[in-house]
Amino acid sequence: MDYSNLRRQAASMKRGLFDQGYLDEQFRQVEDLQDEASPNFVEEVVVLFFKDSAKLMSNLEQALEKYPRDFNRWDAYMQQLKGSCSSIGASRMKIECLSFRDNCGQGNVEGCMGSLQKLKREHALLRQKLESYFQLLRQAGPAGAATRPVM
Amino acid sequence: MAPPEEAGGGEFPVGMKVLVVDDDPTCLAVLKQMLVQCRYDATTCSQSTRALSMLRENRRGFDVIISDVHMPDMDGFRLLELVGLEMDLPVIMMSADSRTDIVMKGIKHGACDYLIKPVRMEELKNIWQHVVRKKFSGNKEHEHSGSLDDTDRNRPANNDNEYASSINDGADDSWKSQKKKRDKEEDDSELESGDPSNSSKKPRVVWSVELHQQFVNAVNHLGIDTVPKKILELMNVPGLTRENVASHLQKFRLYLKRIAQHHAGITNPYCTPASSAQVASLGGLDFQALAASGQIPPQALAALQDELLGRTTTSMVLPGRDQSSLRLAAVKGNKPQGEREIAFGQPIFKCQNNSYGAFPQSSPTVGRLPSFSAWPNNKLGMADSTSTLGNVNNSQNSNIVLHELQQQPDTMLSGTLHALDVKPSGIAMPSQSLNTFPASEGLSPNQSGFLTTIPPSMKPEPALPNSQQSNNLLGGIDLINQASTSQPFSNSHGGNLPGLMNHNSNVMPSQGISNFQTGNIPYLVNNSSIGVGSKPPGVLKTESTDSLNQSFGYICGSSPMDSGLLSSQPRNAQFGFLQSPNDVTGGWSLQNVDNYRNTIGPSHPVSSSSSFQSSNVALGKLPDQGRGKNLGFVGKGTCIPNRFAVDEVESPTNSLSHSIGSSGDIPDIFGFSGQM
Repeated sequence: MDYSNLRRQAASMKRGLFDQGYLDEQFRQVEDLQDEASPNFVEEVVVLFFKDSAKLMSNLEQALEKYPRDFNRWDAYMQQLKGSCSSIGASRMKIECLSFRDNCGQGNVEGCMGSLQKLKREHALLRQKLESYFQLLRQAGPAGAATRPVM
Repeated sequence: MAPPEEAGGGEFPVGMKVLVVDDDPTCLAVLKQMLVQCRYDATTCSQSTRALSMLRENRRGFDVIISDVHMPDMDGFRLLELVGLEMDLPVIMMSADSRTDIVMKGIKHGACDYLIKPVRMEELKNIWQHVVRKKFSGNKEHEHSGSLDDTDRNRPANNDNEYASSINDGADDSWKSQKKKRDKEEDDSELESGDPSNSSKKPRVVWSVELHQQFVNAVNHLGIDTVPKKILELMNVPGLTRENVASHLQKFRLYLKRIAQHHAGITNPYCTPASSAQVASLGGLDFQALAASGQIPPQALAALQDELLGRTTTSMVLPGRDQSSLRLAAVKGNKPQGEREIAFGQPIFKCQNNSYGAFPQSSPTVGRLPSFSAWPNNKLGMADSTSTLGNVNNSQNSNIVLHELQQQPDTMLSGTLHALDVKPSGIAMPSQSLNTFPASEGLSPNQSGFLTTIPPSMKPEPALPNSQQSNNLLGGIDLINQASTSQPFSNSHGGNLPGLMNHNSNVMPSQGISNFQTGNIPYLVNNSSIGVGSKPPGVLKTESTDSLNQSFGYICGSSPMDSGLLSSQPRNAQFGFLQSPNDVTGGWSLQNVDNYRNTIGPSHPVSSSSSFQSSNVALGKLPDQGRGKNLGFVGKGTCIPNRFAVDEVESPTNSLSHSIGSSGDIPDIFGFSGQM
């Protein structure tokens, strides 16, 4: 198997994610945290993020229904989600979070709904892309090889 | 891990124990990994309550805490205050919310730093500085408090720096002179007697509930304006140093101040406008006016008191939670477990339980601090059942504390607060205690007691000038803070007091500041203007002054100001705890008592008001300018703008001083002299 080729592909995929704005600098910071002691750190955190954010979004959706026009509450949920996104570098998701909060600030229910939908889309997209990426990394080589993906 | 001072310079950051509190698992995971890479010893926790109990179980187990602002179980600001009050540990706030007002709130509550998410590795690498800074300032604080006169005289520049910013020139001068005078009068025993050199690490004093209770009892007995030395003597705890007491007293005063502030209607930014309005109209009193006048009308005090007690006397209510939180605080107080939480605020709430009946007794009647008067009868102080006093948890204790505070200086403050565990570090957690108070949640009576204790560093100085009357109430009970947890300024008014204890909610970002300046918080006046910094006399000044700055935000500061009020006493500044006996406030020590409980003229109007302020101030923890904790509890959100305001140190106009604005002749305990 051409590991180097796979690694190149992985690197290229990652670059693409950055270029398209899915990921930002924070993701690199997270990657830098991966080391021999935590060889799968990035993937673990990413998995954790998607799980947690899915839950948050679901809570938010319920809140949108259960507490109509309760912008403060909605905003609080979103604040949390935004924090999560920023911790991992999920840039496009973060943008949608901000847009949601803006809508909250304006009292725009429709806008909030719309933002949430977009956020869900971005969430799904990013998840899919990162899953592919990690899969590629795994194929590209043993943990050592995946530790510092070429960027 | 070896304390920073002891560890080699190059070794220090390694192994530093960090506790991270955040309900976001992603962020927690990333942060932990970062901290591990920085070679720190990181512990993560997703709940504030759990974090708090971890901290309480093992006070020395952590060197610094990083906490998220928004958390489900307890507001990050409240945690900040509590930690500051109880443990005197540096707390770094963190949030994805970068709004300036929120950041300000954090600073006011006494946060050493405020990180915006996503947190970068570079930022984490530097957090050790906060630990070191705090320790050094703590040492300095002790030293300072120990030898106030010396420091005061010998370091005019220092004082100037501290107080200048917060007080306008007039006030500053008068204050300073008062301070100096006070220092002179200060017992020479105040000097560090055997205080280890600043550089050496003092064993940290852990203010356990019992210890705090003893402290509160002593303070109640001696009056909030008392000097640490006397408190120390009264407490008669072996191994406890004057510095410990001083910083604790400082914190306590700040706490009280903060409480008062809260009651005064310092609303946190999150408070609804309505509540704010209510607060402002505490008991129908216009606190602003009060602040302006430097007096706290009896009704205000009463209202405040009632407020504290959880009674709805006036509209003054902490937005949102305070009622419930207050009660919660009160309830908490009853908890037998030795929760250390010094319910500064609790005492107030506890009133009901409080055996002392300090507050509860007082009829909610508006217009007077009934409880206070009743207090003496209760004998909460010393003679009273030690158990009650000692029950930190008991609401009683907390009540007592408050009552004591409120009552004439003689009332026993000590009763309410359980002594904080004496930590070897010998740094009385001035700020921490304050923090604890505000948090209604866990503040057990003990905690409240803590408030009364206000950080030792405060030194007897009247630190809370403002608090004259209501401060007492407030000081001890930073219930308000609790309610708002982060909002009220509580904490810290901005950090330490009035703005301090973070908990607070003060809407104004500068809680503390607002207090001082805007005069929103009449109480705040305290001294914040004076010097919010930790320095006791000007304690508020603290930002840098280590212990003083800590949470107590300001209360201390008031003292110098008070002098004027007190008329004869140079020191008055009490946090406001002292209340002139004759004064309306009754219980609270606002009375025109000079720093150490010497009652100054009868009801000096200024003093009354000052007490509130001072307490507020005290409560607010000033941001940790780098020295010690900001008193701002706030804890804390400190209302005292000066103190807590980060800029306090530098800008002479710190809210405190400016807010006061009032006549320069009046000591301006509350900081009224500053611009309002």
